[in-house]
Amino acid sequence: MDERDLIARARAGEPAAERALYDAHVDRVYRLAYRLAGDDDLARDFTQETFIRAFQRLDTFRGDSRLATWLHAITTTVALNGLRKVKRFRTRETALEAADGVAANKRTAEPDLKTRLRDAIDALPEKYRMVVVMHDVEGYTHEEIATALEVEVGTSKAQLSRARAKLRAALADFAGEWVS
Amino acid sequence: MSDDRFEQLLREAAQDYHRPPATPHEELWARIEAERRRRRAAPRVVGRRPAWRWGLGIAAVLLLGIAIGRWIRPAQQSTAPAQASSAVGARSDLGYRLAAAQYLTRTETLLTGFRADARAGQLDPQFVAQARDLLSSTRLLLDSPAGRDARLKSLLEDLELVLAQIALLPAVRDSADVELITQGMDQSSVLTRLRTANPAGPAPVGVQGAL
Repeated sequence: MDERDLIARARAGEPAAERALYDAHVDRVYRLAYRLAGDDDLARDFTQETFIRAFQRLDTFRGDSRLATWLHAITTTVALNGLRKVKRFRTRETALEAADGVAANKRTAEPDLKTRLRDAIDALPEKYRMVVVMHDVEGYTHEEIATALEVEVGTSKAQLSRARAKLRAALADFAGEWVS
Repeated sequence: MSDDRFEQLLREAAQDYHRPPATPHEELWARIEAERRRRRAAPRVVGRRPAWRWGLGIAAVLLLGIAIGRWIRPAQQSTAPAQASSAVGARSDLGYRLAAAQYLTRTETLLTGFRADARAGQLDPQFVAQARDLLSSTRLLLDSPAGRDARLKSLLEDLELVLAQIALLPAVRDSADVELITQGMDQSSVLTRLRTANPAGPAPVGVQGAL
């Protein structure tokens, strides 16, 4: 069935249409939420909130973008706000590592490249991390990212470029392994 | 290493970044349905007109002054007239109680107005500045003798979080940010706890007189 029909039926309050829209989009929403949160409980919370808001506000969806893009915009907003809250709570209890905590030349006891990459991405400023996750991890286009994050396409590209530069610097001591 | 090579390897390695498990379709749908039912069933508080806010604020001064006095120093009501040293301590505590009462009144007024404006979709920028101001007072109160009271401390900690969220609202606000804050307020019932902090028993005369 055409998605526009489903949206119209969901707006009319038809539960089967809501479920069909959910089924069509939940995988990508959950994946994005999980990639951003790195935690199953948080990812479930963010996914739940995304769909609740989406169904509440379906009347405001004008169809200028794809429904998926609209949903991903809600997901990123929910996730960003949720993660800020979590970070604030955690900051109270323990001093978090600074954003640049993964030092460029600090080779620790954790030699695994993927682990180092994960730590380096985690240590990125939030707006850079968001773009890296969406573009390099989940394969979103800059246009999709720009819509979801409500920034210009050029901003998305610039942030990705800066993020990669930071990652390169953070992983500089692994350059030999990258090449090999 | 060339940029292209780095980007290619970055994408490959990044696939393991927070690799998600299979989507829990049914469990998530059940949660969504349950939460939507719960929210539909939850009573909505009707926003009050701005004209009522000042009246509420004034009433809150009286009520909270009494409440804080009862809350923080219930034991002192039954003690005999104090000696000189304890009288000094009582006067000192009275200062903290007054400060706490004033702080809670201002905070309640701010949060009430914030929530009403948030629902109306017209948020006064003044709220952010007021929240920043109150945030520093929260920390001072938490570190003062007033913060030794477990119930007040818990309330202050929740208020600190809400005020921090409002204080950090960007100039160009996302309505979702505002909605998350009001949701957080509802979930922690901070306004209800502020308004209903009215334990039984007579209030200390000193507090009533001072207020």
